[in-house]
Amino acid sequence: MSAVVSPIREPLVRGHKTYHQITEDICAPTERTPGLAWVLAFTVAVAFLALYVFAVAWTVWFGIGTWDLNRTIGWGWDITNFVWWIGIGHAGTLISAILLLFRQKWRTGVNRAAEAMTIFAVVCAGQFPLIHMGRLWLGFFVFPYPNTRGPLWVNFNSPLLWDVFAISTYFTVSLLFWYTGLVPDLATLRDRSKGLRRKLYDMFSFSWTGAAKHWQRWEYLSLVLAGLATPLVLSVHTIVSFDFATSVIPGWHTTIFPPYFVAGAVFSGFAMVQSLMIIARKVLNLKDYITIEHIESMNKVILVTGTVVGVAYLTELYIAWYSGYIYEQFAFYNRVFGPYYWSYIGMMACNVLSPQIFWVKKFRRNIFLTFLLSIFINIGMWFERFVIIATTLARDFLPSSWSYYSPTWVEISLFLGSLGLFFTLFLLFTRLAPVVAIAEIKHILKSAGDQYTGPEATHKHEAH
Amino acid sequence: MNQFEFTSRQKRTFFIMMGIGLVSMLLTYFMDDHYKHLRFWTNYLHNTVFFAGLAFISTFIIAAFVTAWAGWYVLMKRIWEAFSLFLLPAIILFIPLIVGLWLGWHQLYIWNDPDVVAHDEVLQGKAGLLNRGWYTFGTLLIMGLWYLFAKKMRDLSLEEERNGAGPDFAYHRKLRVWAAAFLPIAGFLSVPLITLWDMSLEPHWYSTLYFWYTGASWFVSAMAVTVLLLFYLRSKGYFPHITDEHIHDLGKYVFAFTIFWAYLWFDQFMLIWYANVGEETAYFKLRRDFYPVLFYANIFVNFALPFLILMRNSTKRKVGTMVLVAIVVVLGHWVDFFLMIKPGPLMEAQHLAGEHATAGFVPGFTLPGLLELGTFTGFLGLFGYFVFKKLTEAPLEPANDPYLEESLHHHA
Repeated sequence: MSAVVSPIREPLVRGHKTYHQITEDICAPTERTPGLAWVLAFTVAVAFLALYVFAVAWTVWFGIGTWDLNRTIGWGWDITNFVWWIGIGHAGTLISAILLLFRQKWRTGVNRAAEAMTIFAVVCAGQFPLIHMGRLWLGFFVFPYPNTRGPLWVNFNSPLLWDVFAISTYFTVSLLFWYTGLVPDLATLRDRSKGLRRKLYDMFSFSWTGAAKHWQRWEYLSLVLAGLATPLVLSVHTIVSFDFATSVIPGWHTTIFPPYFVAGAVFSGFAMVQSLMIIARKVLNLKDYITIEHIESMNKVILVTGTVVGVAYLTELYIAWYSGYIYEQFAFYNRVFGPYYWSYIGMMACNVLSPQIFWVKKFRRNIFLTFLLSIFINIGMWFERFVIIATTLARDFLPSSWSYYSPTWVEISLFLGSLGLFFTLFLLFTRLAPVVAIAEIKHILKSAGDQYTGPEATHKHEAH
Repeated sequence: MNQFEFTSRQKRTFFIMMGIGLVSMLLTYFMDDHYKHLRFWTNYLHNTVFFAGLAFISTFIIAAFVTAWAGWYVLMKRIWEAFSLFLLPAIILFIPLIVGLWLGWHQLYIWNDPDVVAHDEVLQGKAGLLNRGWYTFGTLLIMGLWYLFAKKMRDLSLEEERNGAGPDFAYHRKLRVWAAAFLPIAGFLSVPLITLWDMSLEPHWYSTLYFWYTGASWFVSAMAVTVLLLFYLRSKGYFPHITDEHIHDLGKYVFAFTIFWAYLWFDQFMLIWYANVGEETAYFKLRRDFYPVLFYANIFVNFALPFLILMRNSTKRKVGTMVLVAIVVVLGHWVDFFLMIKPGPLMEAQHLAGEHATAGFVPGFTLPGLLELGTFTGFLGLFGYFVFKKLTEAPLEPANDPYLEESLHHHA
């Protein structure tokens, strides 16, 4: 990477850090006993996880009848949650693969946590189609392999099956990508520890020595995985959108769905990264690495993707009118003015209107406002999936089948419980591995550290 | 050689190209008077939309790169500035189409025929948008607004050149505001324009993805034209600081957006094929049955070739492969627009004349003929003349751009 940096760029590492200080700062949270905030948060998260286990057990024991699915409403909160979580699981790979290709250096502050978040979100997402089957123990039926079930075979024409492939591939590659990045950092933790802890970290870092050959192979592997991950970022949500768009249901069958789902996924993923990192940088004392510049950059991505999603919403409405197809027109009239109008308003207000405040620089750099808005967007994106699923299914072609869907306590518990699963995993992660990629921060120090660039620079980079 | 000199030889070449274009258009007009000279008018619309789109998407490229704080491209930004200013001549190119709409010179758009609309309930429902008034004022006002942004961004860039970067990079910071504001304007307002220009040629058909698909096609074309122009200017000794590193990054853009274009093509095609709704499949059925060569060539030339050739790192850094791909891609996407624009009006006109559309060869429609290529040459000559003229108006390397040093030391 070029060492020449334009003076108009802001530094990305603050506090005149040395390489040693970076190691100290980022390793510290994993090396001390957890604080009260962590213990409290972990307790709450595990309590919700328990609720999740209970609700799953209830669903399996008493059956899907404990949900409010009926008549035409085959999908409810379950698939809404699935799409929501899958969407959130997009930011990590976008940051690590696509922003890497675009040479956006600010990605280094947040990529590790975002990748971890991606994996945990995909773990949560993957639960819902399985629970929705009702018979969890037959979940392996989704994989096509020579079997003894006679004619019972997966349907290769179904986008639901493509989803199985897309998500399992995405999960595998994201996991490898994240873990590959962790290896040198786990070795750093090992070098600072003793006893069993040292042995474990040694095992998990594959006895990394930091030899030139190791770094060379590590770089090469990262490049290959980035190449694989880039199309995957687009493919996963594209195929999730196919679940809807290949149908002939008005409101679902529309060609803009694939790229619009991807944009929405990136949007919600960044909102979740913001929610997590704003807390993490304070609790773990990482403000010099996840600076206001990082937050501002992510807010810009949120503004862009929120507006892209807005263009897509309006294009759908516009084409519904333009098509002259009465069922299409009704589907959208029903979305806006039907019995679920409140969810449509929620979606529009949270996803399209509220991010527009980020046109103002002062608001982009306001931590409290950013946090509040990231929560708004998480809610709004959940509403989006609810709008697509519930409003469309509750009123199909046959008015005598029309009904109104509202979730039972089991469905609500499953959703709240999946948040517990997510936060349990994330909180464990903050204790076990460096939340910021140590090696990558060191890599950009000379081009983005505030002693080298920006108004407080004391070392000028050497002339070329 | 920082000051571009528009030689008389280059001028002569462009005039010859424009001459070829003019002769081709006249020949098309007088040789073929079927359906109110439909071959001529579709050719004219096709090239106008293609080149207007290049200008529009170049404005978008500048706006996007400025907003993303990109540094690498700064050495070549004058090229995109020159492209973006072509929006003004593009508005003028639309005037004959607009006047023709009011005076009944052409029958490109059947929604403009009151007899047809009177018997067509679907078209009556769309009459709120598909009418002469919207076509005229939509085109003039929206393109005018886009031009305003292109011009303003160019002016700020030139002021920066003349007056220095300013205290705390004042000019660049101002540029950022204009650039960011242009992005949603481009996103929202391209939808009605693309509906009016292209999609309403087959006014019963609709697809929500069509707008982004069109934009992606323009984007790849603009990058490929940039590659060709840069190689030409470098061979004349200009742009000495543009190295293989910059070419490599342009190659990546061509490669990446080729994939993106194919992704959108596939999404649109597959979803319509899968759901099999008659209103939607009509579009692809017409093309697959009556235009099979172009239909399949489109995917092969615009996706398979650039994808396979540019996959390796080394091919993005070599003159031979990059020029080859760029030529293929520019012509390929010109054909992509041909396939978007030409079949619809012919089908509607045949339908209106009570003729049955058959799979037979229709000159100038089934495949682009010499007259189509001649018309393209003419438009290319005009575009080239205008761009070269604009390149003379400012030093090629922007001395005061805050990212200049980064661009000079760029490593792909």
